Amino acid sequence: MLPNRSRLSVLVFLLPPLLLYGVAVLFPILQSLFLSFFSWNGISDMEFVGFANYVRMLTGDSVFWHSFINALGYLAICLVLQLGGALFVASLLTSLRRGAGIIKTLYLLPAVISTVAIAFLFVRIYSIDPVGLLNQVLSWIGLGGLERPWLSDVNTVLAAVSGPEGWRFTGLYMLIIYAALLAVPQELEEAARLDGANQWQMFTKIRFPYIRPVWITTTIMATTYGLRGFDIPYLMTNGGPGQSSELLTTYMYKTAFTSTDFGYASTISVFIVIECLVAVGLILLMLKRKADA
Amino acid sequence: MTAQTAPVTRPIPAPPSSPAPRRRRRKPNVFRSLSRTLIVLIVVVQVYPLAWLFLTSLRNEHDFATGDPFALPSSISFDNYVRAFQTGNLGQNILNSFIVTMGANLLIVLLGMMAAYALQVLGFRFSKFVRGLFLIGIIVPVQIALVPLFIDYSSVNLLDTYQSMIIPLAGFALPMSIYLFSSFFEYIPRETYEAASLDGAGPYRIFGLITLPLSTNTVVTVVLVNSIFIWNDFIFANTFVLSEGLKTIPLGLQNYIGAMGKVDWTATFAAVCITITPLLLVFLVLNKAMIQGLESGATKG
Repeated sequence: MLPNRSRLSVLVFLLPPLLLYGVAVLFPILQSLFLSFFSWNGISDMEFVGFANYVRMLTGDSVFWHSFINALGYLAICLVLQLGGALFVASLLTSLRRGAGIIKTLYLLPAVISTVAIAFLFVRIYSIDPVGLLNQVLSWIGLGGLERPWLSDVNTVLAAVSGPEGWRFTGLYMLIIYAALLAVPQELEEAARLDGANQWQMFTKIRFPYIRPVWITTTIMATTYGLRGFDIPYLMTNGGPGQSSELLTTYMYKTAFTSTDFGYASTISVFIVIECLVAVGLILLMLKRKADA
Repeated sequence: MTAQTAPVTRPIPAPPSSPAPRRRRRKPNVFRSLSRTLIVLIVVVQVYPLAWLFLTSLRNEHDFATGDPFALPSSISFDNYVRAFQTGNLGQNILNSFIVTMGANLLIVLLGMMAAYALQVLGFRFSKFVRGLFLIGIIVPVQIALVPLFIDYSSVNLLDTYQSMIIPLAGFALPMSIYLFSSFFEYIPRETYEAASLDGAGPYRIFGLITLPLSTNTVVTVVLVNSIFIWNDFIFANTFVLSEGLKTIPLGLQNYIGAMGKVDWTATFAAVCITITPLLLVFLVLNKAMIQGLESGATKG
């Protein structure tokens, strides 16, 4: 603590940031909570309905549950692509002597591109008429039977909209994990090698335990980002065909701004917040436990 | 990051079929050459869609509609770029994105630095509680703010303004900025402050004369990392902005989808290429600083 600070100076420095943060983040959270107990279309008078929105959401809304399951599937695909892919590539990169810099740059490239551009790009990649990249590759490697319009097939559309999101950020997580892997002390690895550890043991016994704190952070980042995923499904399919690629976020958005049901939309967004908090709690519980054991 | 010193002009790794043999007397290491091949393959998969995007923007429409998507363009045409500028409002979109990015970054840097200064350097009784409050903003998804802000904006006539985008973008980015500045301020030795205090400098002068000038590197990091996300923001712009003149790049690109979903794809891809160029250039020039920033964001925790 600074010796001659005054209470006033603390306030001078703290109040402006708190004000912005309060207006943009804290107050809207409380407001959503408040609105979730009302029925309101933005024009007529607000009507207090108690827990009716919550009851409707949890018991009477099949679209909601469908979106919830979809969101979990979306999250799972994103996590596998982002964290699995990132860990894999980062491990491979550590065996490289030169050129890691340029590979990191190239790998991160998609993260710089806007989701609208990515959505356009992948609509073309998945397309069948004219034949897009994916279907072309499938027919070349002899899997022509799998060719299909990926975005209008209800069985593939969820995976098809999750893929680009995973693709986009895997470079970001790779960077973070790679930096952590580089920080593993050489002596530890040398010692393990002298004891005859193979590559796999080296990874599971030495490297991974060492980067566990970073792994927890990246898992939390990827999970919260996955749960708030919105742009790409919204732009590519708008939740369709039917509800087969609807996520909670896109459903909430449509409820709010297409059906102008602000009360019910707030109920869904409260659910999304709770879902994120629960997810972060679970990750901490699971990964921290293992570290202590 | 010594690898970064490798000359940038080095050709991008050769196609996967020929993992360049090294002319060094070393035992062939299966694991190493296998992993090198894999890396090249993965990078190709990762980067090819972008190369394809660029190539397509140079194709003529007939070529695009009928040709093999992997083939090189039969002829290079810049017509698409001309049409891209005619169809949309690209100049205005880029300007708007620039204004929003600048405005949000200014708030993020200034307010983030102030909060971190209060929390880390000045210190006060409830600082733990305030840190906890800011942590919420990292976990909570941005969508929670859409409905409340939409209602609040319409009651104070802020809908359809630059501020309507800047406020939430800055607000949700603030926690990470505070966190980065805090962890930097930890490294400034206590004695520096104590010496300045003994010389009679108050908290404002110390902020202006010591903390601020020392933080340049962290400012660069914070600005670069946030710019990626702000420049590309879709959800706030899409919710709060309606008029053509305020549309940022992501919204502007949507204009290329014509009525009945008919899309002039080659012109659209040309427009995409134009709009990603500014950020891409910044990224390629400053990628070392940006990569360090992204890494430090997570690893310092």
